[in-house]
Amino acid sequence: MSKAAPLHQKFWTANVWLLVFFMVSAAVFGYFRFVYGFGSVTNLNPSYPMGIWIAFDVACGVALAAGGFTTCLVVEIFGRQKYHALLRPALLTAFIGYMLVAMAVMFDLGRWYYIWHTLVYWNGNSVLFEVAWCVMLYLNVLAIENLPNVIDQYKGRVNLPGPLAAFNNSTDSFLGSAEKILRRVGVFFVIAGVVLSFGHQSSLGTMMLIAPYKLHELWMTAWSPLLFLLSAMSVGLPMVIFEGTLATYFFNRKSELPLLADLARIIPIFLGAFLLLRFSDLIYRGALAEVLSGSRQDNAFLVEIAFFCVPFVLLFVRKVRENGTGLFLCALSIICGVVAYRFNVFLIGMDMGGGWEYFPSVGEFAVTFGFLAFGVFLYKLAVNYLPILEDH
Amino acid sequence: MAMDRRKFFKVAAAGCGTAACAVATPAFASEKAKLVGADGYGMLQDSVRCIGCKACQSACKQVNKLDPDSSLNENYYDSPRELSENTYTLIKMHQDEKGEATFVKKQCMHCIDPACQSACLVGALTKQQNGAVSWDGDKCMGCRYCMVACPYNVPQFQWKEAIPDISKCTLCEETRLKKNLPTGCSSACPAGAISFGKRDELLKIAKERIAAGPELYLDHIYGETEVGGTNVLYLTKKQVAFATIGLPKFGYKAPPRLTEGIQHGVFKYFIPPVAIYAALGGIMAFTNRKNKQEQEGGSDE
Repeated sequence: MSKAAPLHQKFWTANVWLLVFFMVSAAVFGYFRFVYGFGSVTNLNPSYPMGIWIAFDVACGVALAAGGFTTCLVVEIFGRQKYHALLRPALLTAFIGYMLVAMAVMFDLGRWYYIWHTLVYWNGNSVLFEVAWCVMLYLNVLAIENLPNVIDQYKGRVNLPGPLAAFNNSTDSFLGSAEKILRRVGVFFVIAGVVLSFGHQSSLGTMMLIAPYKLHELWMTAWSPLLFLLSAMSVGLPMVIFEGTLATYFFNRKSELPLLADLARIIPIFLGAFLLLRFSDLIYRGALAEVLSGSRQDNAFLVEIAFFCVPFVLLFVRKVRENGTGLFLCALSIICGVVAYRFNVFLIGMDMGGGWEYFPSVGEFAVTFGFLAFGVFLYKLAVNYLPILEDH
Repeated sequence: MAMDRRKFFKVAAAGCGTAACAVATPAFASEKAKLVGADGYGMLQDSVRCIGCKACQSACKQVNKLDPDSSLNENYYDSPRELSENTYTLIKMHQDEKGEATFVKKQCMHCIDPACQSACLVGALTKQQNGAVSWDGDKCMGCRYCMVACPYNVPQFQWKEAIPDISKCTLCEETRLKKNLPTGCSSACPAGAISFGKRDELLKIAKERIAAGPELYLDHIYGETEVGGTNVLYLTKKQVAFATIGLPKFGYKAPPRLTEGIQHGVFKYFIPPVAIYAALGGIMAFTNRKNKQEQEGGSDE
């Protein structure tokens, strides 16, 4: 098996400056949000108190970071070692994804400096309490799972700059003992990561069930938690394919297509389970009766379902799987499906009453794009200086 | 972590079974919920009696020291259109085809089993023994999940503040109840349209009014059972349905019963997560052993 190595390419390319531009513009809007309140930046209102910072940055962010635990499940737990090369990048993007979720939550909390209250004041009845704790614990698990990247790169050659050099020896011995401990107990964190993911991925699906009179019947079902979990598992591997393809393109690397095409055979198992439960539930509850009515919710539902169903069928075709563009578009479609699903549950399917409408402001978009750019920035930083990507 | 195949299947089956049961019986935990404050104070608001003078509205602003909400582009008059961070209660008017006006007072319903209390992850919103649902600014993180959860869209957020509060009717808990005074709005009402008292007494009064004037009142007390019951109750005119004056036809089950049922089912005594953990560990041990055997070239499978 070939070994992962840092890319060591030129870091400050034109694309990176573009990322910096998005990050800076987000920071400018962030300044107004923190100093002058939400009203100065967002279109949030009494009926729509949660906007894209929750629907996209948090709900979609968590779902799209599912590549980490899904790949863990396939490679480590079900022992499909041939996909091992995909594990490190998947865990890295999951870690970055969850960091961004945590930062987005800080942005969205009115009293952000009280975020530590989650640790102290417990309400075990709250769905959000479960989500917050699982995300918090999983972020730590992901940090531990990403530690080997740092250990492999720096153990035995820690060389901190300037006065920090005094800590060279202690840092090195920390890395050494961390490696020894991880070799023994790493497996417990692997499983814990999957269980924690099951927990909060599903609980995100329970969140909006607290408002049964607002959520449209297409999404208002007690099976919502299981549907959220299955859709997150369905999007995990497509995210690996999506990121793998983009990394190949932007870093001029050898194509991983054969491996990715092989991996794609697993997607229909998760996606099929999701679609089976989704349609069984909808038909059982008779929620599909008016689906062609043309209302905003019904149309949003049709778009969501199309994004799931088309790649589900196409991924059975070998020619599509083994064609780079075809595979990429299938993965992208499933990603769009999950994004649509989360938006439908958190925003579009919520009839909040009170005569208010909501569409995100420029500032809200800017902050969301800023977070995305920051994520890509961190990814490039990591693959450039840490052994994440493997050559085949 | 060596485990033979038969044992592994047992663990996996048990794990899946427990998880399935936990998910399939979401209503299980609902009966055990302890409800406080159902016998606490509340208000009965009578749309047959209300004359729409808005004395309650100004009394509320006075008691709670709230700024005026102007919808007329000037700052002299208080003319709120909806609840806001400066308006805990307001009178709304409904006019029927014949032009007859019916007034209804909007405010926090002080639910017996509040969705906001269940939603708040730090427990900043709690139902008190005295009947009020109160907000604790020392705990609140400003996540606004309570605003999503409230079926009546009551909690409000200070959109223009760097450090915002959640604001809503307090049932004058701190300002008046503690001094043995009734709520500001009920004291101000000149028409006797707002009765203050214990919830069971208010229900009795409401039933008496309906019995005494069956030609005036609709035979339904809103809030007696809606969303699990509320401490603020409503009466309406015989010909004016509650739904037309902003009190929708909600079910009798409190919204938290569904979500809490699911949550407590999935985490029952931590059995499901531990079972899933064990099952995954079992699968992992099994596949690891198989992989190792295949690598060594000798397999007894």
